[in-house]
Formats: sequence, C-alpha cells, structure tokens
Amino acid sequence: MDILTSSISLGFLWSIMAIGVYLTFRILDIADMTAEGSFPLGAAITAHALTQGVGPIVATLLGMAGGAAAGFVSGFLTTKLHIPDLLTGILTMTGLYSVNLFIMGRANVPLVGTVKTVFNMINIGSSTTTTIIIGAIIIAIVIGLLVFFFNTEMGLAARAVGNNEDMSAANGIKADSMKIIVYMISNGLIALSGSLMAQTNGYADISMGIGTIVIALAAIIIAEILLRHLSFGQRLLTIIGGAIIYRLIIALVLDWGVDPNALRLFYALMLTVFLALPLVQKKIAQSQQRRKNTREFLKNSKEEK
Amino acid sequence: MTNAILEINGLHQYFEKGTPNENHALKGIDLQLREGEFVAIIGGNGAGKSTLLNSVAGSLPVSYGQVKIAGKDVTYQSVEKRAKLISRVFQDPRQGSAPLLTVEENLSLALKRGSWRNFWSSGVKKNERNVFKQKLASLGLGLENRLSAEIGLLSGGQRQAITLLMATMRQPELLLLDEHTAALDPQTSATVMQITDKIVREEHLTAMMITHNMQDALKYGNRLIMMDHGQIAIDLNAEQKQGLTVPDLLAMFKEKSGTALTDDAVLLSD
Repeated sequence: MDILTSSISLGFLWSIMAIGVYLTFRILDIADMTAEGSFPLGAAITAHALTQGVGPIVATLLGMAGGAAAGFVSGFLTTKLHIPDLLTGILTMTGLYSVNLFIMGRANVPLVGTVKTVFNMINIGSSTTTTIIIGAIIIAIVIGLLVFFFNTEMGLAARAVGNNEDMSAANGIKADSMKIIVYMISNGLIALSGSLMAQTNGYADISMGIGTIVIALAAIIIAEILLRHLSFGQRLLTIIGGAIIYRLIIALVLDWGVDPNALRLFYALMLTVFLALPLVQKKIAQSQQRRKNTREFLKNSKEEK
Repeated sequence: MTNAILEINGLHQYFEKGTPNENHALKGIDLQLREGEFVAIIGGNGAGKSTLLNSVAGSLPVSYGQVKIAGKDVTYQSVEKRAKLISRVFQDPRQGSAPLLTVEENLSLALKRGSWRNFWSSGVKKNERNVFKQKLASLGLGLENRLSAEIGLLSGGQRQAITLLMATMRQPELLLLDEHTAALDPQTSATVMQITDKIVREEHLTAMMITHNMQDALKYGNRLIMMDHGQIAIDLNAEQKQGLTVPDLLAMFKEKSGTALTDDAVLLSD
C-alpha cells in the first residue's frame, strides 16, 4: 500500500515532465535532450528562490519560466541557426549544467527546516497525501491549459507544423515561431516538474536531471502501448497512468533488493523493451496469422479433394 | 497591364551555378496572367514548369528577375508570407494536409491562411462546421459526414479534393496547381480535374496549373502555355486553343522548336 501511494505521488510529479517531453517528442517529432538540463534548472531556480525567502508559488513559477527560457534557446538554435535538433538539445543541456551551478552556488541545495514549499503551505495530512493532492491540482491545471491551447487557432497551427511542414508553410503558418513556442511550453513543464521534485525531495541537486528523459519517454511509451488512437487530452491523461506504472515497476524492483547503483541501467533496459514492444507484438500477431492461414488453407484444400 | 494578377519579369533560375553541373533551368521568362485566367502549362521533363511554379510559390529562391502578385513585388518573400496571396495544391496528395489532424481541423487551418492565429479562440468554430459540410457535399465524394475523421485515413483522391477546398475556401489571388492529379488513378484524376474546373469557374479564380496531361491542358482552362528548355515555346489564348487536338499541339511544337517532342510522359498521356 505504501509503495502504491508513493508511486502515485511520484508518478504525478513525473507525469508533468513526461507531458512536457511528449509535446516535443510527438507534436514536433523531436527527441529534445534539453529536458535533462531544464529539469534541474527548474529545481535550481526554485530552491535558490525559496532559500532567499521568495514565496513557494512564485518560486515554482520562476523555475517554470527558467525552463521556458531554456526551451527558447533550444528552439532558436534549431529553427533559426538550423542546428540539428538532437545536437541543439545536447548543447543547451551542457550549457545549463554550468548555469545551474551558478544559480545554486554549489552542487546541492537542501530545502529543510523552516523553508516553505508548495507541499507544506497548507496542512492537509501526511506528506504523501499532500503531494498527491497538490500534484493532482497542478496536473489538472496543466492538462486543462494544454488541451485548451492546442485546440485554439495557434495551437492547431503548432500541431500542423509537426505534422506537415510544407502544408503549414503553404497556409502561412510560421513554422519557426510555432516550434519555438512548443519548445518553450515543453521545457517550462519539465522545469515545473523539476521544481516540484526538489520541493518534495527537500533538495535540489546538480545531477538530478541525468536519465530523466528516459523516465519521461518510458511513461509516454507505456501509455501509448496500453491505449492507442486517443485524442490529445485523453493521451495526456494516460501519460499520468504511464508515469505511475513506471514508478511502481521501479519501486517493486528496488523492493526486491536490486542494487540502486544498477537503477539507471535498468531504466535504459526497460525503455528499450518498451520501445521494441510494438514491433514484437506485431511480429507475434503476424506469425499467429500465418499459422492460422496455413492451417485453414490446408484444411480447405483437403476438403476440396 | 492594370489587372495583371501574376507578373513575371525576366525570370532566370540557375541550379548549382558556377559548377560543372550548372543547370540554367529558366531562361528569361516573361509572363503575365490577367484576372480570371486559368493557364495550363505543359512541357517535357526538364522544360522548367515545376521550377517556374516553385519560383512563383516562393519555395525556390529567384536567381534573377522579378515576381509580382496582385501588383506586389514578392520576389524575396518567404512561402508563408506569400500564403496571403497564393494557395497551392501539391502533386503528392499527402503534402497538402496534416494527416493526424481531422478534416475539419485542416479546413479551419486553411480558412485562416495568411492571417494571424490567436491563442484564445477555438481553432474549429461551430459556425464553420456547416460551411465545411456544405463545401464537402459539393465535392460529391460523400465526405460531408467525415468532418472529425483524421485526414490521413482518407484516400489520395479524397485528400486531394479536400486540399483543393482548403486552397480555395479563402479566395486566393492566385491558385497554383502542381500536377495535382498526376499521382491519382485515371478515374479519380478525372474527378479531381472536374472539381478543379468547377471551383475555378464558379469562384472566378486566377489559376496556374502544371500538367503532364495534354488532353487536360486542351480541355481545361482558357490559356495554354508549352515550355521547352526553360523558355515559353507556345502561348495560346482561349480562342487559339479552341478545337486543337493533341497531334496539332505536337506539330505546333515541332515547328516551333525544331525538334519533335519525344518525352514519353507527354506523348503517352491521353
């Protein structure tokens, strides 16, 4: 039971990141590595602001704005300077490592004692329940705004750009601006996730971004494997489920006594399996169909004789 | 030339200029299209028809010369900027619409061609749906009940017909048709061609159509241009092309250029 609730609370926070990654990954069809820099950036900005006495909500929003700025940089590099999108992400991520160190002043900023966070602003119950409730509220706001935006005139245009750039240009859509906007929203959400993670963990750490994109992608792929052909809003909701399932798997694995040092190797292996799964499913279905066909074909030809 | 919708002056296009592979694709094109003119452009492979169309659309930077649309110099404008004035139907039916968006989302996007898109009002508006239904019904392909289908699920012919709607719902100054029936089977191709003709005439559009099909070029439109080696070889108005047949056209071409037209794609299409 404890594993379940803690997986739900962590899954909620990770799902915000996964939704951010989903925007660039599926709408723009780009695997944006900026995520691994903007996640700790959100944490760093929020942690620094909190220790300076800024209110938790403002501090969280500042972290989010920082992520959006990082997204702008990556978007600018890839659309205006035509640097390939994979490299752009790596460039921004690398630069952000130093930026994050500058902001935090050291490799780890603890948020303990009297520091107020979004999770202890109001007293609802145990820390896990609070995380779940606050997390649910934030996710509801995020998904609501995203569904609204991506169905507006501009949102439709942004979706069209990732889908068919020739068509977008022919209809007067400025592809570069649309891409930059999606980059900014995406990394803003990733930084929000980092900011919340720092507040619930009680510290911001320079290395907390490493491997995060794999976690986010795993949540997305799990959601896509479980349920296919969904509308945009439905898909975002299923990503929450994907993130929770992923956290559950990790929690169970740790519970079995797997060495935590092996965790990242496990992340990578698991994502590989998830990514390969659709192909494996297809192959299995094909070979079943083939066997069935052979069987019926033989049977029919016998009957004819 | 007061009412010239399209005005091309001294247009040259070079590919790989300054290299041994230099290709002088357009050699000084001068062309004017008046309002309501529907010109069909034919010519063999490498004659320069696609280069000409791409130069007008903006997807190919101009080497030398000038392109004006509705009196505005657009020579250095990007494709998305020109979208205010031009709409385009591509050869590949997949190119003209966003496959993962629904039919109505695609239509709504096209309705806002060339204008600012805000981030507060809904992309597909309720009152637009009836217009879309009407327009789709007029295509006669039974698409009026498929507004919320992903457009990628439709057939090539259906997509091309919808692209045609997208290109004309918001009236463009100039409609570009880039061999838009070439990728379709003969029957669908004929249907799409008839729809095109109907829309162009009903909306009094100015259109430039590239085609490989001489028969279509003779049958549709009120002007016919034949290109050869980057130049305009033959330019016939509605009166002159009246009653012409494909053999007449081929003979005319031979007389004009001194060589017989041997391109199979042009000869065999009928």
